[in-house]
Amino acid sequence: MIQLNRNYTLPEREDDIIPIKVIGIGGAGSNVLDRVVLDGMDQADLIAANTDVQSLASSVAAAKVQLGRSITHGLGTGGDPELGFTSACESGDEIRAALSDARLIFICAGLGGGTGSGAGPVIAQSAREMGALVIVFATMPFSFEGKRRAAQAQEALGRFHQLADAVVCFENDRMGDMVAPKAGIHQAFAVADMTISQSLRSIVNLIQRPGILRIGFDDLLAALRGGGGRCLFGYGESDSDNRAHEALAQALKNPLMDRGRMLGEASRVLVQVAGGPAMTLSEVEILMRELNKHISEHTQLLFGTAVDGRMGARLSVTLISSLACETDERPVQNFVPVESFAPPPADPIVPAPEPEIAVVQEAEPEIEPAAAAPVVEREQVLQVEPTPSIQSLVPGDQVTESEMVEAEPEPAPEKTPPRIIPPKKKPVVAQKAGPEQISPKSESVVGKPKQEKSVAAKQEVLQFEPLTRGRFEKSEPTIVEGQDLDVPTFLRKNVRVK
Amino acid sequence: MGNNDLMVGLEIGTSKICVVVGESRPDGTTKILGVGQAPSRGVRKGEIVDFETAMKCVHEAVVDAEQKSDVMIRSVYVGVAGAHIQSFNNRGCVVLPDDRDEIDEEDIEDVKISAREVSIPAQNAFLHSIIQHYHVDGQDGILNPIGMLGQKLEADFHIIHGVRTRIQNTIRCVKELPLEVEDVVFTALASAQVILTQQQKNLGALVIDMGGGTTDYILYVDGAVRQSGAVGVGGDHITNDISMGLRIPMARAEKLKIEEGSVILGNCLPGETVVLKDDSGFAGKEIERETLNTIIHLRVRETFELLKRTLDEESFINYVGEGIFITGGCSLLQGIDHLAEEIFEIPARVARAQTMSGLTSAFQNPQLSTAIGLIKYAQAVQADRPQRRGLTRIFSRFIPGMR
Repeated sequence: MIQLNRNYTLPEREDDIIPIKVIGIGGAGSNVLDRVVLDGMDQADLIAANTDVQSLASSVAAAKVQLGRSITHGLGTGGDPELGFTSACESGDEIRAALSDARLIFICAGLGGGTGSGAGPVIAQSAREMGALVIVFATMPFSFEGKRRAAQAQEALGRFHQLADAVVCFENDRMGDMVAPKAGIHQAFAVADMTISQSLRSIVNLIQRPGILRIGFDDLLAALRGGGGRCLFGYGESDSDNRAHEALAQALKNPLMDRGRMLGEASRVLVQVAGGPAMTLSEVEILMRELNKHISEHTQLLFGTAVDGRMGARLSVTLISSLACETDERPVQNFVPVESFAPPPADPIVPAPEPEIAVVQEAEPEIEPAAAAPVVEREQVLQVEPTPSIQSLVPGDQVTESEMVEAEPEPAPEKTPPRIIPPKKKPVVAQKAGPEQISPKSESVVGKPKQEKSVAAKQEVLQFEPLTRGRFEKSEPTIVEGQDLDVPTFLRKNVRVK
Repeated sequence: MGNNDLMVGLEIGTSKICVVVGESRPDGTTKILGVGQAPSRGVRKGEIVDFETAMKCVHEAVVDAEQKSDVMIRSVYVGVAGAHIQSFNNRGCVVLPDDRDEIDEEDIEDVKISAREVSIPAQNAFLHSIIQHYHVDGQDGILNPIGMLGQKLEADFHIIHGVRTRIQNTIRCVKELPLEVEDVVFTALASAQVILTQQQKNLGALVIDMGGGTTDYILYVDGAVRQSGAVGVGGDHITNDISMGLRIPMARAEKLKIEEGSVILGNCLPGETVVLKDDSGFAGKEIERETLNTIIHLRVRETFELLKRTLDEESFINYVGEGIFITGGCSLLQGIDHLAEEIFEIPARVARAQTMSGLTSAFQNPQLSTAIGLIKYAQAVQADRPQRRGLTRIFSRFIPGMR
C-alpha cells in the first residue's frame, strides 16, 4: 500500500472525472444494475427505472424511478410495450431529473418485454435531448422465448438505433452458448448480466482512467458507430507471467468476440491496454502484435494505454468494435450461429406492400443467402406474404401446407451437411424467412415457369453459413491474414462440394 | 554414456512420434540402426496439448526404437515444431581494438552476441542463430574470418526463435521419461540436413516439410539459411476438411486421403467414384473422386499460396536454383509436386533422405526425414566441436558447421 502511494498519482485526476450515469430499465435492466453493483462501480451513478414496484424495491441501485405511477399502479406492464411507452411518457419529468448533469448515459434494457422495449426508447430520447452521449446496452431475448417477443425486441432495437449514439446488442442466444448445457436457465441469464456488467464497467474505466495515450469519447464513438450492426466487445485481465498474452486471449474469448474471428471484418477497433506501473512497453508491443494477427490491414486501430496504480500486477485489455449493418451481406460472412441472424433478414425479404408471392429476386442477392443457405440444389424458396389476402391467392394452399410437413424432414439428412449446419437451423429459417418452404414436389402445385428462372439465379449466391472447425474446435485457432485456417478451405472459399 | 557415437533423433509429430537411432562411423558417415514409431496422441499442430498422453506415446516410440536397434537410449536430439516458431535475419558488428587486427575466435563469439542483441518478444527464446556470412571491413561473403586481418567484423545471422514455454513443454515431456535432451532443433532445419546436399544449399533451395499438424519451411540461398518458419496447417487439416466435406469420420477420411487422395484436379473421369468400404468389407458410401480431390487441392493450394506470400516478401524466387523439395507425410499426396511447381513457378520434387547407410527402407519414407535429419544435425554438431560436448546449451547455440 505504501508503495502504491509512491507511484504516479495524478493530482488533476479528480477534476477529470466525467459524470456518468447508468440507468437500468425494466426487470432485465435492474438485474444488470444489481450485477454492476456487485462487481463494484464507483465512477458512475446507478439509477433503476421500472413500472413494477416490487422489482424496483428489491433493486440495490442508489436512485430509483417508478414509471407510470397512475397507469400501471405499481404493477408490471405484462409484456405490453404500449403500456411501457405511456408509462415512461407520464414519468418524463422524473426521468429527466434523475438523468440531469450526466455527460454520458448508459441505458441497460432487456428487449422483448413491456418496460424495456416500450419505455427504453423514451428514456433514450430524454437522455439525448439533455445533451448527453447515450450508449444503449440491449439484451435480445432467447429464441425460445418466442417469435412475438423477438419481434417486439427487434422493433425496440430499431428505435434505439435511431435515438442512441451507440447500441451494444447482446443476444441471449449467444450467451447461452457459453453456458454448459446442464446449467440452469438462471445461470444462462446470469452469464448475460455478467457480460453486460463487465462491458459496462470496462467502458467506464476506459473513459475515466487517466491515460498516457488517452481514449476519449470520440474514439469510443468511432469504434461503436457501425450503422446499427453487431457490436464486438472483449475484456481480459491477467496477472500471470505471461499476462499480455493471456489478457488478450481472454478478451478474445468473450462471447461477443467470437474468438476474434469477426475482428477481421471490423473497420475500426478500439484497444485499451491498462496496467499497473510495472507494465512495460514490450508487453504492450507483444499484445498489439498478437492482436494485429486478428485484424485486417485496413483496420483502423484506436489505441490507448493507461497506467493505473490500482491495477497492481494485473494487466487488462479492452477491445471494442462494431461490424456494419447486419442486413448487408454480413450474415453470410459472419461466422455466427444462424438463429441470431435469422430475424433481421426476415423483414427486408418480405416487402410489406407487395401483394404477391415474394419470389426470390436477383436484386437482393446479399440478403438471400442468409435465408437460402440451407436450401440446396433443387429446392425452392418461396416467401408467401403472411396476410390472409395472399393466402387466398395461392391455389391449393392447404396442399402446400401438408406437403411441406412431410417434405421438410426428408431433404434435411441428405442435403444439409449435418456437421456444418445445426439441425435446429431448418425450422428457424422456415419460421423466420417466410411462412413456407416448398420442396420440389410441391413445385407442381404452385409452379410457374417464371419461378424456375429466378431460382436458378438464386443458386449462384448460395453459400454456407456457419463455419466450423471440426477437429480443431478446441485448439488454439490458426489465424493468418485474418482467416481462421482451421475452417476447411472449401467452406471459406465457398466452393460447393457435392 | 559410454558410446559417444550413438545419436538418437526424436520427433514428436502431430500424427506420429519417430525415434531414429544412428551411429556415427569413423569415416564420417552415419549408419541408421533402427527406427521406432508410435502413433501420436495429445499433440495438435505440432504442440503438446495433453502432456500425460503425449509422454506415454513418446515412451512407446522410444521402447520400440530400443528393441529394434538393440541399444539403450539415454539422450536424444528433439525436433520442435509449431506455428509459434518465427525467424528473422540480423547483422552483428564488432570493432577490433586498436592494438590488434587479427580476428580470433573471441571476436566471432562477440559478433554472435551482438547479433543477438535484438528484441524478441519477452516470452520467446532463441532456438538457433545460424551464421550466414561474415563481412570484414566491408568485404562480403567471407566464410571463415579467423586469422584474417581487419578492423571491423560483421556477421549476418539467421535467428530462429519460438515461445519459451512451448519449447520447454517438449523438453519436459522427454525429460520426464527420463531421457536427456542433447539439443532442440527446429524440424525444418533438421529435415534440410538430410534432404539437401551442400551443393544444393549453395545453389539455393526451399524445403517444405508438410507434416501432420504444421508446415515448416526453410530457404537456403548461397549456402546459408535465408528464411524459415512454420504455418499451423498440415495433413490433419486436410483430413478434417475431407471429414467435414464428405461427412465421414476422421479415421475414414484419413484412410481415404492416404489411399485415394490427390491434389490434381480434372484428372479423373467424370462421375468416377471411390467406394468407401465398410469395416465389414461391404461396399458403403460412394464418393466422387473429383469432390475428394477438390477438397484436398483447395487446402494444399491455400497453404502453398500462403507460403509463397510469406517468402515473396524478400523476392526469393530468383535465388532458388535447385527448386523446391517437399517432404513430410503430406508429400506422399499424389501430384503435390506439380501443384507446388504451378504455384511457386519453380521446379519442385518430393524429397527423401538419401545420404546415409543402414536401414535403407527408412530413407524412402519422407515421414522420417525430420528424425533422420536430427541425427545428421547431431553428427554435424559432434564433428564440429567434439571437445565441447556436454557444454551444448539448449537456448544459446552457434554452430559454424550448420549451414
